[in-house]
Formats: sequence, structure tokens, C-alpha cells
Amino acid sequence: MEPTPWDPEGVTVVLDHDGQLVGGAQPSGLDTKQFYKMLVAARCLDLRLARSGLPMWASAAGEEAALVSTALVSRERDWIYAGFRDVAVALARGLELDAVVAGLFSGEAASPGRIASATHRIAPPTDALGMHLALASGRAHAQKLRGDGDVTFALFGEGLTTTGAFHESSMLAVSNALPMVMVCRSQLWPNGAPAEAGAVGDSVSDRAKAAGFFVRRVDGADALGTHAAITAAADRARQGRGPGFVEVVVTQMHRDPPAHRDPVERLRRHLDKTGAWTQTLQDVIEAEVRGGLDRALEAVQSNETAEA
Amino acid sequence: MNLLQHLATVIADLLRADASRVVLGEDVADGTMLGLTRIAAEDPELAPRLLSTPLCPSVMPAHAAGLAAEGFRPLVVCTEASALLDAIAALREAAKLTAPVVFIAPFGPGFGLGGGATEGPESSLARIPGVRVVVLSDANDAGATLRAAVEGWAGDEPTVLLVPRTLALAEVGEATEVLSRPFAAPRRVREGEAATVFTWGACVAHVQAAVANSGQDARIVDVECLAPLDRAALVEEAKATGKIVIAHSGPARGGVGAELAALFADDAILTLDAPVLRVTGDDGPLTATSEGKALPSLDALTTAITHVATY
Repeated sequence: MEPTPWDPEGVTVVLDHDGQLVGGAQPSGLDTKQFYKMLVAARCLDLRLARSGLPMWASAAGEEAALVSTALVSRERDWIYAGFRDVAVALARGLELDAVVAGLFSGEAASPGRIASATHRIAPPTDALGMHLALASGRAHAQKLRGDGDVTFALFGEGLTTTGAFHESSMLAVSNALPMVMVCRSQLWPNGAPAEAGAVGDSVSDRAKAAGFFVRRVDGADALGTHAAITAAADRARQGRGPGFVEVVVTQMHRDPPAHRDPVERLRRHLDKTGAWTQTLQDVIEAEVRGGLDRALEAVQSNETAEA
Repeated sequence: MNLLQHLATVIADLLRADASRVVLGEDVADGTMLGLTRIAAEDPELAPRLLSTPLCPSVMPAHAAGLAAEGFRPLVVCTEASALLDAIAALREAAKLTAPVVFIAPFGPGFGLGGGATEGPESSLARIPGVRVVVLSDANDAGATLRAAVEGWAGDEPTVLLVPRTLALAEVGEATEVLSRPFAAPRRVREGEAATVFTWGACVAHVQAAVANSGQDARIVDVECLAPLDRAALVEEAKATGKIVIAHSGPARGGVGAELAALFADDAILTLDAPVLRVTGDDGPLTATSEGKALPSLDALTTAITHVATY
């Protein structure tokens, strides 16, 4: 398969461009059909919210594999510290659609568009850039002292990796061997990186390795590979073997990449090959999520009208 | 026993009394540069709760807040208060979570350091919403004040306990076991009717000397808690004499002294019988050799007290 400029190098591939399992690897302990449903739900949620007029809304289309995998790998007692566009985590962690939508418009998180839930152990992003990583490392420190095998996940994008908060939190996690998994989405820039990615573009996992993390670099378009890498880091952290850092190279859908860069489409191709995907299945999943979303958004808007 | 040694015994006692208490900071497992955990470090029961960290000043309050969210009660030992100026964003996040974290940090002149040690970090810290800022002024009460802060007498918000460097090596005589007065509240350290001098930290002893020098019957109020201010109690102390001097170390500009002066203008203007005078350290920047200028001189204090009392 001819790689395109959008495809990351130096990653372990589980699903190739056509959705074939590479080397006959079988994903263990993962219901791929259920996983696919969540990816589709996350995409529908993203597309619908993009039209809802939320302030500061940023699309995460193309990043679903990292978000959904983190939620699926996490256990009930674990905590997830989410970033600004990580709503899909809440959905995959079992929050009802209405609760997710209501939370986005007026929830526990500090401002609209962010997600938080104390019952589902999802912490909101912080005002100060990257400070949620330090709250997460503190949580992981407590989990280590308890020794119950709980893990804290922190989600962010590579843009945060230039901040002091990222470096200091990383040092706290590594030097104390904390049960923490950092899931960092990065991007490739076929036409040259902008200043904010700058000289540090495409080097996140190398820097994390130098800092002392257990590191995996995966392709975010390969949902099964992403899930496997986050699982490996989480298992290791759970066993008390120190923090993990998973760099997930994603391609944002609004940049109009080739279809195989879409994690939803790539897993669909896989399910199609095994006969698990049908157009009817697709229609049913989408109808269910879209219907639920429309109802939830209507409820939020009628509440707003009633309050006004 | 000096104050730092005394605080080390209090910290060990506090760890013994409650297993949810942990200490965070550079070298805490080895006693710290100031020796504040030296006694706890020798106790194998307590040592596992001395959590040494790399130097991470700007996120430490958030890290501590994460620990607190799981039910731990962290005490963060800072080598100096300027580390907390790096941590303003993290303190804000800790305050939003009402995290029961106590920070103990030496500040102000006293060790001949100059630079940051001559500035007033308390005014920057006092502006952070939801953070309590308490300044020690009495070596005998310091241990009991730390205990009250850690036990959360005034509430569970993040609390910064600032130790004036002039006090750090002071001898502790009769150490107070448990405070017999409210914690984090203004405290009259001298009765008097001719004027009210508001002060805190290193300046309290200085003001006592100046009042004696001046021969005026001035009352002295140790503000102690710079945030949140007990506005009602402070206004009462101002109204009682109508003549006010505010004295503190560090620069006057943008300081808590200015906040107090504005408070009295707001709430006590009709009872004031003299201009409100601020006597402070030099605006700086100061060096190690000029560190002494970070404290107001005895002369300046005496002159201001006399001027206001006889106005």
C-alpha cells in the first residue's frame, strides 16, 4: 500500500488502509462492532454539535479513536481528565445522550462546550492551559498511595506539549512512577507545520520517551491499533510500572484527507470484510444517535426559552 | 529551639494524628532545605507520606489538589514564597476545587538574599479568588497557627502560610499548643487609644518597638489573614481611634496596605481624624546588600505614629 503524506511513519499498524488486519492479528477482548457504533455515535455528535452554535466549539472529527478507546479502556474507578473537545469520551464512558448534551450547555464544567461528570469520573478542562494534567497527576499520586490499581487518564493535543504545565506534570508522573496514561493527539502537516506545531511537530513521542515515559506511537486512523496501545499503557500503569504516553497521530476531517485517514471509515471497511457491516446497520446506528441528539438539543433549547 | 525546628515537630505530630496527611515538596523525604520534615523523616511510620517531588513550582498546587480530591490532605513545603508566584494559575484551579491544601513558605527579608526576598508576594497571592493567605508574626504561636491551618479551622480552601524570614530562626520560648484565639483573624497585640497601627509579619515586632519609641498610646493590630480580609473587624479597629498607620515589609505599590487604606476610605471615612499613612519597605528592586530597606525603618515608623497620633 502506497503511503500518503497523511500517514504517520514509525507506528505499529493493526488495521491497514483497506481495513485488513495486519499479520492476522486479532483484537482480543474488544467487541469491534460495539466499538464501531461508538465511533459513529461520536462522529454524529460532533457533526451535530458543530451546527448548534456552542461558543468556542472545536470539532474533533477524525480524533474519535483516541477518545472512544480511552473511555473503553478505562475502568469504572478510573478518572479521565478531558480536554476542550473531548465530548466523545463522556458518551463512550456511558453518559446518556441527554446528559451529555445538557452538560455541554450548562453542566459541571466551567464553561459551555466542556464536559464533566463526577459520577462518571470525568474531570473538566481547566482555565489555565494544561493545568488539568497536574490535577490528573495529583489524582494518580493518590491512586498510587492507595495501591488499588486505579489509573488516571489525561487527554490533550500536542499543542499543550510546549507548556510548562505539561513538562512539570510529566516530571511528577515519571519521577514518582504514577499510574497515569497521557493520551496525546498529534497531527502531520503535509504542507508544512504552522508555528504552533513548529520545530516540535512530529516529535512528541520522542520527547516523551526522553522524559522517561513508556511510549507508544499509533495511527489515529487505525482504531484497533489505537485501542491496543492505550490498553498496553493502562495495563502497565495499573500494575504499578509507571506512567504511559500514547501519541495518537490523527487527521482532522475538515482538512479533507483521503478516506482511509478516517478512523470510522477504516473500521467500517474492516467490518464490511468480515460481513459484520451492512448499510442497514449504519442507518440504524445513525438514526438512533441523531434522533436522540435532536431530542436532547430540543430539550435544552426549550429549557433556555422557559428560563428566558 | 528555633522556629523552623519547632515547626518540624509540629509537622511530625500532624502527620501522626491523621493518616490522610501527606507532605509534598523538594527533598521532603530528606528533611527539606529548611529542615521542616527532618523529624518526620526519621519516623518510619511517617516517611512513606513524605512525597518528594522534582522542582515543579508552577503546577504543584494543582497536583496537590488532585491528591486532595482523593481524600488526602497535602501540606506543601515551598523553599520560598516566590515559588508560589509561579503557581498562580494552579492556585486558582486548587481554589476552584476548594482543595484542603496548606502551603508553608518563608518570605521577605531576613536571610540577606535581596531580590525576590525583598518584594511582597503576599499581595499577589491575596488577589487569587478563594485562596486564604495567613502571615505568621509570633514565634510562640507559629506552631499552633500551622496546626489550625492544617486542621482547617477556618475552612477547607487552599491556605498559604507565610513565614517571615526574620522569624524563621527566632527562638521559640513557651510554644502555644493550641491557639486560644480564632485562627486567621485580626489580633490586637497592643491596646491603645491614640492611633491604630495595622501590620503583619516581620513588621509586627518592628511596630511594637516603634510605638514604645514614640511614647504614643497606639494600638497595634496584627492583620494576620490578608485574604480574605475580615473587613468588619478591621473597620471597627480603625474607627476605634480614627487615626491610622499601615506598616508592612516590601513595596507599598499595589500592596495589601493599599487595599486596607481603600477599605477604610470606603467604610470609615467619616470617623477618620488624620490622613491614612503607609510605612513600608522600599519599592526596589533591592539587592542582597540593600535588603534591609525592604523593612520600614524604626525612625520612619516612629515619625508616622507620632504624626498621626498628634494630628
